[in-house]
Amino acid sequence: MAPINTLHILNKAPEHPRSLACMSVLQSGDALLLTENAVLALAVNSIDPGVPVFALAPDLAARGLESGIQGASLVDYAGMVDLTTHAQKLINW
Amino acid sequence: MSTLMVIDQPPYGTWAGREALDMAFSLAAFDQSVTLLFTGSGVNWLRMSQQPGGVEQKSLEKNLSAAPVFGVEAIYADAAACARYGLTVENMIAGVAIASSSELLPKYTHTAFAG
Repeated sequence: MAPINTLHILNKAPEHPRSLACMSVLQSGDALLLTENAVLALAVNSIDPGVPVFALAPDLAARGLESGIQGASLVDYAGMVDLTTHAQKLINW
Repeated sequence: MSTLMVIDQPPYGTWAGREALDMAFSLAAFDQSVTLLFTGSGVNWLRMSQQPGGVEQKSLEKNLSAAPVFGVEAIYADAAACARYGLTVENMIAGVAIASSSELLPKYTHTAFAG
């Protein structure tokens, strides 16, 4: 797992202004983790923010989305915690 | 007196939508004319095969299937929001009519939004 500069953890739906704010500050070397409502972004279109994208599998399953997901690698709760250990900085949006 | 309950809140992420659904069911149970409109990220309530066990919540899909039993007049989904979220008749629960919010809103004497 490559080291991550800043891990952005986003749980807001795509329409939420904080989702837009998050997307606008992503830089190379960062990573984006989508949880709760934010996983809906993967239903809108396969987002390509130019950084690795992860998504929390139980949240995708809850919303009937976990089949046919592109543009994000799925993690479970343990995987989420592991991700945070690889990041120097965290932003919980 | 006809009521339109609009749910634009995403499923499972907040409780606002569930509260609005309970309100709609209560109105319908008291023989008020209630119609549901899902729009914005709220249309995601209507996607089939929801498995919320992993987030320890009850399925909204099952919750919604009680709407006809309570006497909810109709369930609508906003066409633009469905297109945005890739929802079509094939991957949506049954009994939902796709319509345009702007056409629906003027038709009801009382409209309320979730949350």
